[in-house]
Amino acid sequence: MLHLTNAQEAIGTALSDGYSVAPGRHDEAMTADGGLRAHWRGLADWLTAVGGQGYGAAAEDLGRLRTESGLAFAARDTATGPVSDALPVILAPDDWAKLERGIEQRAALADAAITDVYTDRRTLAAGLVPPGLIYGGASFAAHCAAWERPPRHWAHVYEADVARTADGEWVILSDRLDTPLGDGWLLANRIATTQAYADLFVDLGVRRLATHYSAFQAHLDQMMGWEGRLVLLTAGEHDPRFFSHAYFARYLDAALVEPADLTVREGAAFVKTLGGLRRVDVMLRGVPDAEVDALHRPGRAAFGAPALSLAARSGSLKIVNAIGCAAFAYRALAPYAHRLAQHLLGEELLLSDAPCLWLGGDRAREQVLGKPEDWLIEPLTGIRPEHDQLLSGQTQSQSQGQGQSQSQGRDQSAEILARTGERYCATQMPELATTPTWTPEGIFPKPWIMRVFAGRTAEGWRVAPGGVASTLEPGQRPANLGFGKDVWVLPDDAAQGRKSQAAGLMTQQFSSGHLRRTGRDLLSRVADELFWLGRNAERAEAVLRILSVCLGRYLGANRTDADPEVLSFLAEAYAAPDEDLSGKARYRDAIERLTSKANEPSGVQRIIATLRSGGLRARASISAESWRYIERLCSDRRWQTVGPMRQNANMARLIEDSLQELAAFAGSAQENLTRNFAWRFLELGRRIERAMQIAHMAETLAEKVAASEETYLRAWLTLSDSESAYRSRYMMTAQPAAVIDLLVLDESNPRALAYQLVALERVLSEMPSEIPYRRAEHRRALALLTELRLMDADVLGRNDDEDGLKAFAERCQEDLAEISNLIGRAYFAHADAPEAMLVQARAFPDEGGAQ
Amino acid sequence: MMLDVRHRTHYRYQNPAVFSQHLLRLTPGAAPGQRVAITHVTITPEPENLDSHTDMFGNTVHVATVSRPHETLEIVATSRVDRATPEGMIFDTSSPWEHTKATALGLGNLSPVAELGPFAFPSQMTAGDAAIEAYTRESFSPGRPVLAAAEELTHRIFKDFAYTPGATSADTLPVDSFAKKEGVCQDFAHVMLAGLRALRVPARYVSGYLRTQPPEGKARLQGADASHAWVSVWDPAFGWVDFDPTNDCVPGQDHVALAHGRDYSDVSPVAGVVVGAGAQRLTVGVDVTAAGEA
Repeated sequence: MLHLTNAQEAIGTALSDGYSVAPGRHDEAMTADGGLRAHWRGLADWLTAVGGQGYGAAAEDLGRLRTESGLAFAARDTATGPVSDALPVILAPDDWAKLERGIEQRAALADAAITDVYTDRRTLAAGLVPPGLIYGGASFAAHCAAWERPPRHWAHVYEADVARTADGEWVILSDRLDTPLGDGWLLANRIATTQAYADLFVDLGVRRLATHYSAFQAHLDQMMGWEGRLVLLTAGEHDPRFFSHAYFARYLDAALVEPADLTVREGAAFVKTLGGLRRVDVMLRGVPDAEVDALHRPGRAAFGAPALSLAARSGSLKIVNAIGCAAFAYRALAPYAHRLAQHLLGEELLLSDAPCLWLGGDRAREQVLGKPEDWLIEPLTGIRPEHDQLLSGQTQSQSQGQGQSQSQGRDQSAEILARTGERYCATQMPELATTPTWTPEGIFPKPWIMRVFAGRTAEGWRVAPGGVASTLEPGQRPANLGFGKDVWVLPDDAAQGRKSQAAGLMTQQFSSGHLRRTGRDLLSRVADELFWLGRNAERAEAVLRILSVCLGRYLGANRTDADPEVLSFLAEAYAAPDEDLSGKARYRDAIERLTSKANEPSGVQRIIATLRSGGLRARASISAESWRYIERLCSDRRWQTVGPMRQNANMARLIEDSLQELAAFAGSAQENLTRNFAWRFLELGRRIERAMQIAHMAETLAEKVAASEETYLRAWLTLSDSESAYRSRYMMTAQPAAVIDLLVLDESNPRALAYQLVALERVLSEMPSEIPYRRAEHRRALALLTELRLMDADVLGRNDDEDGLKAFAERCQEDLAEISNLIGRAYFAHADAPEAMLVQARAFPDEGGAQ
Repeated sequence: MMLDVRHRTHYRYQNPAVFSQHLLRLTPGAAPGQRVAITHVTITPEPENLDSHTDMFGNTVHVATVSRPHETLEIVATSRVDRATPEGMIFDTSSPWEHTKATALGLGNLSPVAELGPFAFPSQMTAGDAAIEAYTRESFSPGRPVLAAAEELTHRIFKDFAYTPGATSADTLPVDSFAKKEGVCQDFAHVMLAGLRALRVPARYVSGYLRTQPPEGKARLQGADASHAWVSVWDPAFGWVDFDPTNDCVPGQDHVALAHGRDYSDVSPVAGVVVGAGAQRLTVGVDVTAAGEA
């Protein structure tokens, strides 16, 4: 091991031509005179020892782990967001302690300020904050003010964007109070980093996050009470914060719910589960203030969970953070933070804010408009005001550049600010300190900022030791939170820290978790999603199978089987027929659409997209293994690059691979899902869809079967994976009655229609029911099964009347669709979208107001 | 004058609604010149749950939940309210409007700040523009007493705007109705509030009713037997003073105040969410009569 005292040499020797810090600018790793800061010694030594290759391996691990957790929890671009390098930011204990105290104070200050404006309003009456700061915009939640029993605390979680300035001081860039809950990023990032840097992380004794989160969890437990129920409210998978919500919910063992899963009755909030309504005691709120409670935020909020604030008002539901916190979110605290700290906390403010002027006053407006190039105008509470013209104008004039438009833009800005300046603030990004950052050209100092995370505990506010850092080029705006550089806080006493580290990594927290019943309710929505996941998986299998049969024949040697007319006929069981084409062209066109066109209704592309988004929503209730198969199929790059007409062995292999993933998914769901409600709904969807697909093929092929066209009979057998079963049973060429018996009537053939109906009837008979007799969907399934059991293969095969194959297959599909609808009505009642009541017409005698 | 108010709201749904939740602001409260003797809300079918509370503006709010299937919903609010004749106020003795503004912005006497704050700034439904501001400033000349200026603005809106039912809807914004110079009581109230708040003069939206029995020899008032709306302006000495731009008057014996707020969205009498109803048909009827008369 090298022992160098000079950072330039230490890092430089290993990796780069030189690491030089701008004069007068604080750098995390290097002192002004070029020495290595002591707390970076461990990393520098490690880098020197392992070299670029070692770093590369760690970075690669980190990237892979991030991608995996991204896929596991949100199944999309989480990992491809702003990508940062793999070097952590390392902070010394005293440095961190200063920031920690400041953040604890800030969180307490925010809570006190929010509490005040919704209750006593002392800060207003004492002139500490101007009324326009609170009431000038739309962030103040009037329906949460002046409650007879206000919540004891409004904020329970708090996040801040902080920066280190060039002179080494911490400053606050923004307060994240409305919907913080970015903890999922912090935790996932940390778990990936600890795995990628395992030895180094343990050797340095980096302070762990688990201690903080178990204290926070204890606080939640205390709020919930005995047997309480915890949920995390998310807007859904389209929300960029969904990854963090899903991850954090899993970590805390909270049920992940969407607004439509909740309802408020008799002053309490309930979640809709298959077992009925279940009371919710604590809700982590990942949906902005303005978008919950449609009764009080008409036009803005999702219609799910109207009246949510009333459950909080009664004291029955505790919301983390309470509705109303947006009033002091983002930069609203900054302009008056010093005064508020003195008056509300009786303390001096420990951390200053980056320059921020509230534009509700004439003087601030003049100052900013006089030198607009120095300032960035932002929405005060981080929510862009409705009908905003200022911020859109700002970006426009920036891109427009010089000339007349600029002064014109300034006049317009002045007018908007004079009219509604209360809603805006002007900010400056201070000159930032730098931290070592890996680039392909070597390690360079780059300006950086970070998000830190605080939560309430039994001992008051505590800060998670760490953060998510990102580098920021001058003039660049901070990006949305995502995976970033991990921030390592070194312990006060390295030796002691090391000892406690030996206990192991935080992953253990995950596996042991909290044994609570909350996460176990099956939400009605999730049952619905599982049902459709089952249906979509079968639908995907059906179209892949027909493609497999077509391609197999196309590439095979049998001339009759490869006849373009036969192939077109088969492909058109799924592809919309194009009557203008004929022969090979028609067949090729059908296959091309089925494999590569996103607008082909039954095409692979469409089905994969549906399967993926459905799987994503049902993700929480299927095993990680089951999900992986779905994900592997849906994200298979080969499907994304299917060009026009690539009917070769590669395509055939792709189809086979995809079918295998589906089979693996089916198998793992069978193995891993206990036979509870979740499994039953997946199974119901699967059986209904497979039965429908078999009936669809039967209907399509009925005439060919009746005419004993052998190539079609064989195609049907291949499609149903039943060729060998047929051969071993009949030892003869395909005969209509025999094929029908095997594929329609045989209750022991897993590919036969009868088998699906038997399975469907059985699962329906096991469903919970409050009524003593069979439910409608069960009766219908039983009737269909009985009808099938009384069928005669020969009669079906003749296909000449009501009892023929075609007519029966049509009836069968109708019945199945009806059973599917009945299931939906019985179990997924929420599927009816709530709507706003018509607004009271402003009754006028001549406006239809007559009685 | 003792007035009886009956306000009936009736919904008919295409399909049975499986669940509905309603926010009702149908209960009048005490106000300057107004005393409430009896007030009552009846809902059919009877809701599983009916809660009431007071909102931050002092209004009584009911929240009703109906969780059985229902094809119709009827809400009847009846009240008996005693209204006094407005005292003769000499508006020229009110404070200069700049003084009121400064108080609302927290630059003067601080004690009423918390009460005025919510009403001093443009809300979503009272956003103004340069035209509305210029129009308002014609009455709000420098140093003019705030109530005298407000009275003149009331008169000018009455004179310049056409009362045209159907020209606007419940969510029409004041910039649009101002440009058209027409609308109904809600629009006139919003335009007046947009003007006042552009100057940061604190003013409230008032929802209520108006009795249409024409007094002997006078023309019939517009907005007959209807939900009505007007504006209330604050002065340090007089407190909140009402102005009705639809009828160019200071509300008195024939008006009944129902709820106060920043704009219509704070006081809309019946709002809610319904599940599974399909198309809805809404019928509303209001009767205001002298007590014992009907």
